[in-house]
Amino acid sequence: MKINLEILDVAFVMDKKEIQELKTKELIPKMVTRRRLTRAAKIAIYLANEVDYSDERIVFGSSFGELLATQTILNSISEEEKISPTHFQNSVYNTAISYLSILSNNTNEIVTISSGDNTSLNILKAGAVKALDGDELLLMGIETLNIPFIEDINSCIDYLECGVALRVKMTCELANMKLYDTNRLHIPKSLVELFNIADNYTAENKNIVEINV
Amino acid sequence: MKKNKVYVTQSASISAAGLDNNTLFQNILDSYSGIQQKENYFQDLSPAIGLIQSNNTFYENLYLQIQEVIDKSNLENFSETILIIGSSVGGMNHTENLFLQTKDYTKIEPNLHNINAIFYLIEKKFSFQDCISFSTACTSSGNAIGYAYELLSKGIYKNALVVGIDQISQTTVGGFLSLGVLSSNPCKPFDTKRDGMNVAEAIATLLLQTESNEKCVEVCGVGYSSDAYHMTHPHPNGLGAQKSMNNALKSTGLGAKDIQYINAHGTGTQANDEAEANAIASIFGADVYVSSTKSITGHTLGAASALEAVICSLILEKQIIPQSTALETQENENITLSKDNIQTKIKYVMSNSFAFGGNNCSLILGAVV
Repeated sequence: MKINLEILDVAFVMDKKEIQELKTKELIPKMVTRRRLTRAAKIAIYLANEVDYSDERIVFGSSFGELLATQTILNSISEEEKISPTHFQNSVYNTAISYLSILSNNTNEIVTISSGDNTSLNILKAGAVKALDGDELLLMGIETLNIPFIEDINSCIDYLECGVALRVKMTCELANMKLYDTNRLHIPKSLVELFNIADNYTAENKNIVEINV
Repeated sequence: MKKNKVYVTQSASISAAGLDNNTLFQNILDSYSGIQQKENYFQDLSPAIGLIQSNNTFYENLYLQIQEVIDKSNLENFSETILIIGSSVGGMNHTENLFLQTKDYTKIEPNLHNINAIFYLIEKKFSFQDCISFSTACTSSGNAIGYAYELLSKGIYKNALVVGIDQISQTTVGGFLSLGVLSSNPCKPFDTKRDGMNVAEAIATLLLQTESNEKCVEVCGVGYSSDAYHMTHPHPNGLGAQKSMNNALKSTGLGAKDIQYINAHGTGTQANDEAEANAIASIFGADVYVSSTKSITGHTLGAASALEAVICSLILEKQIIPQSTALETQENENITLSKDNIQTKIKYVMSNSFAFGGNNCSLILGAVV
């Protein structure tokens, strides 16, 4: 089935190490809350604010999830130390988007997809399937790979922190964007399709992409 | 939009409570728990956990289970089937073993670490039209079943194979220990003396199809919600649980009185059981039988929804509501926990799953008459 999505707004951020301007203090005034958040959660909250998100259903995705929390837990096990409960609760793949739901009081459906290199394509497919219900959705993909010793594992991704968000709805109008115009290299493959749409988005025109589910 | 009917036409499972569906269900009826205390499993602690007792490796059991499902089905292969995986940890156990032995990051294999590791391994043995993996902690396979239902009911696919899978790991056992919620005994959901949950492992596979068969059950609908309250604690009144159950009812057009049984999330922790019981009482009162099967299976995390969907399918097939194992003194008197196995007419059942981050999913399955 082919489903056309109108892209209503986009936002993206990326950095080779750590994204600096996430407006974290402004968007999360309470320090006690801010300190608990993972990097991905801070990126999610920034991106949601940039696309004027309110309480839409969300399809979120990440290929590797919360690597830093996972690594910290592994090191604790290795050193026979107690695992931090905060690191454990922050280690699940839906951590980032759950913090967004808590801070924005969104009680609607929020799913997290993790499909390796196909993660962003599957975010689009699941978003399109759910958009058939007629409401607007927030689609978001984030990778936060900037952890100690990542260079021992990673040899092909230059941008270790990347996030992209699209606000979308289903449309019957014809598509005018291509999904596979790959023009960003060295970002995680798991985010490529979402970044391509964000890159080709123009605020002056309608932006419609065809998703083949 | 016209919706197609969706059926569970085949299923298979392996867990601490049994190597197949029949053993699993008989053990539930017999109150024979697969949970055992494991000496010094994590550091010097000895929690009660649920390990699969099999001569095969974990992934050999996965391949065998998928083969079993296709062999029993009307499909020759999976070329027109989407694979939908639900897992909270993916290949974490593999990474743990490598890292704890070598302390060498260069040995870690990204393709075998993340959630997609499950598909990476499955695609070496089976070919599917497409694949997608969900990871929402303990609702992972609930969201996978929900998505399968959406794809089939909306006419996008005719077949979806849902695999709920999580292998036990030190990360999950140690993590739940850090939260102070693990019991040293099989858990006692909804009991005044409950003292925590049991982490366990399982693989559960369900073939969902738009075409029914003789022994199928119907997937009638699904409801989702988010707590928007706390990362690990539910709202005391179970507001998120209420919303997912109400959304499930709304998606089916059924009322609360149409449901005969709820397979509760019922982990045996203080906070979860209190919130869930309050939520069930607020919608259903005492008009529906409730039990949790986690005192037999343990909490199989990302596999739990799929395993409990299998259990609910068997409940509908056998028309028996299982007893609440280990229940001595019920805490919330406003719900009706099944104290014995009850043979009765069962048309609709609900299965609840709730997760870290306040992610909630309620499924409604129905008998096909």
